[in-house]
Amino acid sequence: MKSLSVIAALLGLLAAGPCSAFSTVALPADFKPPPVFKNNMLVHVISVEKTYAKEQINVMLENVSDEPQSEYFLPFTAEQIARVGAVEAKDRKDDTIGPFGVDLVEYDALSDVQYYRITLPSPLKAGGQYPLAVSWVYLNSYRPLPASIGQDEQQFLVYDFSLFAPSAYTTLKQKTEVKFSTVTIPDYTTTFGPEGQEYPQKVGSKMLYGPFDEQPAGAFFPAQVRFEFTKPVIHVSTLERDIEVSHWGGNVAFEERYTLYHLGANLSTQFNRVKWAQSQFYNPASTALKELKFPLQIGSVDPYFTDAIGNVSTSRFRSSKREAMLELKPRYPVFGGWKYPFTIGWNTNAANVLRNTADGGHVLKIPFFEGPRQAEGVEYGEVNVRVLLPEGSENVKYYTSIPDSSIVEHSVDVHKTYLDTIGRTSVTIKAKNLGDEFRFRDLVITYETPLAGTLRKPVVVFASMLAVYAAAWAVGKVQVGFSSK
Amino acid sequence: MDSSLYQVWQSATGSPFLPVIAKESQFTVAFALLSLGLAFTGVFALNRSLVSVVALGVPASLAIAFGTVYMFCAVGVYV
Repeated sequence: MKSLSVIAALLGLLAAGPCSAFSTVALPADFKPPPVFKNNMLVHVISVEKTYAKEQINVMLENVSDEPQSEYFLPFTAEQIARVGAVEAKDRKDDTIGPFGVDLVEYDALSDVQYYRITLPSPLKAGGQYPLAVSWVYLNSYRPLPASIGQDEQQFLVYDFSLFAPSAYTTLKQKTEVKFSTVTIPDYTTTFGPEGQEYPQKVGSKMLYGPFDEQPAGAFFPAQVRFEFTKPVIHVSTLERDIEVSHWGGNVAFEERYTLYHLGANLSTQFNRVKWAQSQFYNPASTALKELKFPLQIGSVDPYFTDAIGNVSTSRFRSSKREAMLELKPRYPVFGGWKYPFTIGWNTNAANVLRNTADGGHVLKIPFFEGPRQAEGVEYGEVNVRVLLPEGSENVKYYTSIPDSSIVEHSVDVHKTYLDTIGRTSVTIKAKNLGDEFRFRDLVITYETPLAGTLRKPVVVFASMLAVYAAAWAVGKVQVGFSSK
Repeated sequence: MDSSLYQVWQSATGSPFLPVIAKESQFTVAFALLSLGLAFTGVFALNRSLVSVVALGVPASLAIAFGTVYMFCAVGVYV
């Protein structure tokens, strides 16, 4: 599987412009996927256990054309395509193969059906079969019903989907499995199988629909489930993550700025502080977000937690040789429809994440993003990662294992800050529509910093100070008094 | 999968980046250098001549230059 490979070079001190959406492929406006595959034994797994819906299809592909084929197209509606992210395709039986190349097809922007193209690692010969697994997430996937509730009431969410997996090819046999985090599912779509059997079958917190008979390409069967989810529905619309590498200080500084929303049911009445304080004694299930836990990398130090007002003192940092857990309590419990923007930051010794290479360069390996570890999950609309390398760094190459399909832009620029003259080399990567399961996917950057670049800061201060001394001497030579003669 | 950069990371195992001055010593070094620079500046102020610019100004500038960089780091602004 070809995962995202982002490689760019910065030569000298020139900055490169941004590159956008390199995981797209342009096709003719009248494009239609050729019917070269057939889906045998398709299993469609829908997980609504977290704040975002995750779907996966496991399928045995069959090449029904006369030629070898390597391009498999996956359809989404125009409404879905804006919310879909993290499309990953793998070999279902061999984890070591993949991830495969996934590209968004650009063909007719007004079409109601849009496609992702999955490129198999090698062309599948005519009549051949291949076990393919494709997964993706949908953001903003639920709506609360009722839309507003009391602050101590249960929350129910509705998820709309198709019982038939999205497919641009004929599907011979398929099953759909819906996974919940609860067994309280008051409403769900029911249907009947080809032999009159009633679907779904409920097995614990799962629902099983199917097997269904042969379905044509593009088949759609609208379905809906309404399930209990008395947990916060955490949506981070924007996460801005800055990483500053300092060679002089031997430090790597992290700062993350979150714009967080709760997309659950709104409060039906005004927030009652007394009722909230009382409920903390028996700690019932609540839709309010009252704590965030950030497992930082071991060795992290100097954490801080601020919001629009300033420092937030309700945080705790547990640091040991086994963990570095930053526990935050927002300034107020965050209920449905509320927003809480905040900032956290911390340092780590450069030795933990930065190494010297044999050719005199440096290699940095950090998580693409970290974020809170919440049982209910967190979805991210935009993740903007900016890595500031030391001033004068060049020959920058970078790579991340975040799915190609979620990367929207990457660039190498220059950013000026304290004591800089020409500015620091910065690597910016923008991703969208990610779930928190992609936390700790790696970002690896290699670069070189020549001695002239390293010494630039002290040389500038040295020259400035020497100029001051010379000026002091020169000014002392000026005769400002009247001559006695 | 292009894992060449992973291989660079793996092959650099055993070569962690270590700064010239460790974090714990940065304030001490910075304070000493800036104090030295201030002392040289004081002596220069008493005898401002072209020779002093070279004999005192150059070492004072060097001490202040590296002292400034390390003092930035010591107070948490990692430049």
